[in-house]
Amino acid sequence: MPYDPHPNHEGFLNSVGSPIQHRFNPHTDNGGTTLAIAGKDFCLVAGDTRQSEGYSINTRYAPKVHELSNGSVLATSGMYADSVNLVLNIETRLEWYKHKHNKTMSATASAQMLMTVLYQKRFFPYYVFNILGGVDEKGEGCVFSYDPVGCYRRETYQAHGSSAALIQPFLDNQCGAKHQNIKEELLTLDQAMKITKDAFASATERDIYTGDYLEIFVIKKSGVTKHKFDLKKD
Amino acid sequence: MALVNLNDVLSFTGNEEDSAFDDAKSSCMNFETSLNFKLPTFSIQNLSDVSDIATAPVDFLKQQMSNENNSRIAIKKGTTTLAFVFQGGVIIAVDSRATGGAYIADGGVKKVIEINPYLLGTMAGGAADCMYWERELGRRCRLYEFREKERITVSAASKLLCNIVYGYKGMGLSMGTMVTGWDKTGPGLYYVDSDGQRLKSDLFSVGSGSTYAYGVLDSLYDYNMSVEDAIELGTRAIYHAGHRDAYSGNTVNVYHMKKTGWEFIYNKDINELHYKYAAEAKPSTLS
Amino acid sequence: MALKFELPKSGFNFDNYNRNLILESKGLKSPKTIKTGTTIVGCVYKDGIVLGADTRATNGPIVADKNCEKIHYLAPNMYCCGAGTAADTEFTTNLISSKLELHRLATNRQSRVVTAMTMLKQMLFRYQGNIGAALVLGGYDVTGPHLYTIAPHGSTDKLPYVTMGSGSLAAMTIFENGWKKDMSREEAIEIVKDAIESGIFNDLGSGSNVDVVVITKDKTEVLRNYKRPNERVKKEQSYKYPRGTTAVLKTSIRNFVDVTEGVATPMDLS
Repeated sequence: MPYDPHPNHEGFLNSVGSPIQHRFNPHTDNGGTTLAIAGKDFCLVAGDTRQSEGYSINTRYAPKVHELSNGSVLATSGMYADSVNLVLNIETRLEWYKHKHNKTMSATASAQMLMTVLYQKRFFPYYVFNILGGVDEKGEGCVFSYDPVGCYRRETYQAHGSSAALIQPFLDNQCGAKHQNIKEELLTLDQAMKITKDAFASATERDIYTGDYLEIFVIKKSGVTKHKFDLKKD
Repeated sequence: MALVNLNDVLSFTGNEEDSAFDDAKSSCMNFETSLNFKLPTFSIQNLSDVSDIATAPVDFLKQQMSNENNSRIAIKKGTTTLAFVFQGGVIIAVDSRATGGAYIADGGVKKVIEINPYLLGTMAGGAADCMYWERELGRRCRLYEFREKERITVSAASKLLCNIVYGYKGMGLSMGTMVTGWDKTGPGLYYVDSDGQRLKSDLFSVGSGSTYAYGVLDSLYDYNMSVEDAIELGTRAIYHAGHRDAYSGNTVNVYHMKKTGWEFIYNKDINELHYKYAAEAKPSTLS
Repeated sequence: MALKFELPKSGFNFDNYNRNLILESKGLKSPKTIKTGTTIVGCVYKDGIVLGADTRATNGPIVADKNCEKIHYLAPNMYCCGAGTAADTEFTTNLISSKLELHRLATNRQSRVVTAMTMLKQMLFRYQGNIGAALVLGGYDVTGPHLYTIAPHGSTDKLPYVTMGSGSLAAMTIFENGWKKDMSREEAIEIVKDAIESGIFNDLGSGSNVDVVVITKDKTEVLRNYKRPNERVKKEQSYKYPRGTTAVLKTSIRNFVDVTEGVATPMDLS
């Protein structure tokens, strides 16, 4: 028996004795976490930058959060290759739209467009969980959250990716006032920044796929600003 | 991706006749890819010619979305939706939970899709499938209005949807929807699913919690009930389903379909309803 | 009178094995054990052995324990690092440790590393890899310093520097690059620390702190959390909830003591 440096005993415990079917699997999960919070006049979109596969880190800096040419920000998690392709696709459409209509696409229109783009690949989906953040026509922050085949909804806060199950309950409590005997109110930018940083620091403690760096984009009517912070690297 | 033969692509379109196809082409020049907006088509990779990965698209998708596959693509599922016709129109009530396995992916889903001011669709099964095709249905109903100079009937609209999804039968679409509306014949209620089934009735409930909802509906439904009572019945049925079915819950959304079109009644938290109903006196079952 | 219910004999109980096979074939998922996706290393130096380990225990993608102990005691002159299924490494080393103790009491001699190694490999081989323990065994006995790896199926290696676990490749690069014969104590601890840190930072299954054990001819030092390169950053704000955050649905106060108004009567002390 050759020595296996990665002791994985599932193989031996597959005791049913049935043949194992191997097949082509084009999708892979590159891990990582994204998050977005909408405010009164801003939208915050954040993501870590670790890209991994199995127990290995491919790179410590592969930005998952992409600033789009129409001033909105798209946070992608899931399969990195698909997300790169998706962003390219979206950017092309935004460019066409600009030349055709002589104006940039609004955040809400690009949200609808993203749904169509995702559903076009219903039978071979983009393995990407998207969050689109921007500022709507009224100047209010907006967050749109998607499943891989295009089901979407406007939210006030959302977490996606490998730590979604860790961060979402925290956001429900802190942003959505769930299980608190208080009224739900939109967060200020300062509050949202603090909550985001704490959420990612805590997720890094317990999720092996989240870490390295944290990128936070703040979208306002006046434009997008980007902030970068350190996360733990183990 | 070098394994996949990119040139060999199968195209599927809906059941459209050639004239309708040309019509679509000429009437939609707004966009570079106008035809895709008019008649959405899907490119489906033909993987079967690569012998060692012998995988038909349907088979392929099934495997991609199975629980066994660790990098599976979660599709939001698990629902309770109901609709019933009564003397005051149609009541549509739904829950708002979306689950991916045991995880509550979203607690505030809008499962009633507002197709147009006279048509509503409900969402059960694959959320994206319902959302996309009922939006597409809305577009086709609008085109119908332009062509025929009158509003589409609920019967025709539901059949349109039924025909679309029948074209994709066996390919993995998943939807169980109720199309409701008010047309020249009065209130309409149809059930359409991704198998291609289309049914007309006065009362439907769809989804994993439907059995619980039917229990409440069947014991309390009365065609001649007042609008207030009907709204309460819809709410109560969804509450009971949300209480007993782990895959349903969070909030209740209620809509009322009237002659003047639909009206959104309210959104209520099932947790709050629980304490409200718990405080009520229980009816005697022997009286 | 015979006992109706007999206590099982020592060792593994296979009563439910066939039942579980059938359940598995019907789609039941067997529960996942906690794995110490690990970096463990050992290295020989001039005066003895240095063992090292990280302190992360994982349960799938989730960190189950941020500061667990992976260097187990076997004998006063012997320690053993464990990788693989946490419970298996723990109980295997415990069992062998106890056997060694009895052996010492019976023979009145110090345990030998080769004895422990043989006992471990024979046990692991008997269970055909079903005990998921990958071990690094190090100690100093009358014949000098010894360092072994023991794979789950029972095969062993005796080398001057060894690594095991999911971070073994990352750690080995450090040894291959910097290991020298007859290093000093400080040099040996430093290279072991570097090897573990390489695992901590480059392998997702390893993380948190570095544990080190130094074994020499007549002294064993346990340097728990020798290095802590991954301290948590301070939180941005406090998450203390103010009074009244939790909704009160109903209040019920019961009187277990009857309070009566009036003249106090003296307590009956008879």
